[in-house]
Amino acid sequence: MNTIQYLTLIDTLARFHLRGEARQFYLGYFWWLLEPALYIAVFYIVFQLLLENRQPEYLYFLAVGKLTFIWFSKSVLQASLSIETNKGLISQVKISKEVFPLAAVQQGLYRQLAVFSFLLALLFLSGKGQFHYWLWLLPLMFVQMILISGVGLLSALAVCWHKDFQHLIQLGMMFLLFVSGVFWDVNAVSDADVRRWLLLINPLAALIDAYRQILLLGSLPKAGVMSVLLCQSLFLLAIGVGAYRIFHSRIALRVLSR
Amino acid sequence: MTRLLTLDSVSLSFDMGAKIRYDAVSSISLQIAAGDRVGVVGANGSGKSTLLKIMAKIFEPEAGHVEWAPNVTASLLTLGLGFRPDLSGRDNAYLSCLLMGLSSKAASSCLNEIESFCELGSFFDQPVKYYSTGMRARLAFGSALLNQSQVLLIDEVLSVGDGVFREKAKQALEEQLSPERAAIIVSHNLGQISSLADTAILMERGEISASGAVDDVIETYQRSTVTSR
Repeated sequence: MNTIQYLTLIDTLARFHLRGEARQFYLGYFWWLLEPALYIAVFYIVFQLLLENRQPEYLYFLAVGKLTFIWFSKSVLQASLSIETNKGLISQVKISKEVFPLAAVQQGLYRQLAVFSFLLALLFLSGKGQFHYWLWLLPLMFVQMILISGVGLLSALAVCWHKDFQHLIQLGMMFLLFVSGVFWDVNAVSDADVRRWLLLINPLAALIDAYRQILLLGSLPKAGVMSVLLCQSLFLLAIGVGAYRIFHSRIALRVLSR
Repeated sequence: MTRLLTLDSVSLSFDMGAKIRYDAVSSISLQIAAGDRVGVVGANGSGKSTLLKIMAKIFEPEAGHVEWAPNVTASLLTLGLGFRPDLSGRDNAYLSCLLMGLSSKAASSCLNEIESFCELGSFFDQPVKYYSTGMRARLAFGSALLNQSQVLLIDEVLSVGDGVFREKAKQALEEQLSPERAAIIVSHNLGQISSLADTAILMERGEISASGAVDDVIETYQRSTVTSR
């Protein structure tokens, strides 16, 4: 299988999965927008209406953070289960197992393109968005794709080895939700060192902050933070790809023999 | 005759948890050459399907080694376990073609042929979850038959569907079996093994307990089944 066939397979798996998934629900593809909108509504009710958050334009602040987080968390969770859910195919064909988590990542991208289009339209129509640097969203999304691919590959392999990792990954997502500045502002942390470390050791916090800077503040994220984010994402992807090279012959046996 | 595949003392066991290991295949040695038609018989759990998966490179053996002649490819024809129930037969067939290594253009052009072979009518565009077992078998066989591999590994695909389709599938398979290709056929239908294969092996508890002319092996298998009762 050459590279084009490989990429075509990943894309087809992703598109067909989304089609099959949409057919299961009465509202079909509309859930792509409805689900994140409902998440934002719940968080908005809790943090703005009940807890009276003082962040200006909190709805848009929350929407950017939550939609970026959902892209990451949902894609990684789907990728983590992808080898297990495709064991029927794995039992029939000799195939590179990384196509399954990567197809899950691709599904996430398709969903997110619709979600971000909706968000951009919302920001534009409300007049709350800043669009001087909106083209910088493209490289930022590309970096996020690299990050999701790396984490997704590693998560799928971990779950394939021991299903217990599935619980740990879900717990990890919950942890990330709280420490990545989804519903609070990383820049509001008073201690400069803590703030700097939060952005440096948690790529998701840096990503969310970067999206907010571009879309809500009309400024560019710091080059240093972005360079670290890119290196972290590439490192995780390299580890993920390397892990599949090392374990490729044992994955099928592992997943099919339990 | 060109040798396509050699298995040398191949073993593989499964981890059943609680430190229990199950020897699925044990010290199997086998040579497959172009033109060979080998039947594989044996009771459930005797290691037949695992052996095919090793030959298809899906499993790597723990001990021994498998040697493939250069550029030789193998395809495993099974009963469509990988079908996605919410997708139509057409989508599943297209996906099967891509998984077998066809380009998207080649896969698209194969769909008419698959549709016509399967004889599923309007069901071809309906989700597979509405298919009967026989209809799934038709789709699986039609999708798998188009591959161009030199070694065909056939796992029970000829044992389902109605009589008319089984005969059609058998004929289609015979047309595929050229002298340049080899076929290893696993089936509980001994009549089909007898008519398709020239030689056979009998597997018991992961080992080859008999091999040779197909009718002799079938007779040994039938005797051992009667004795075990």
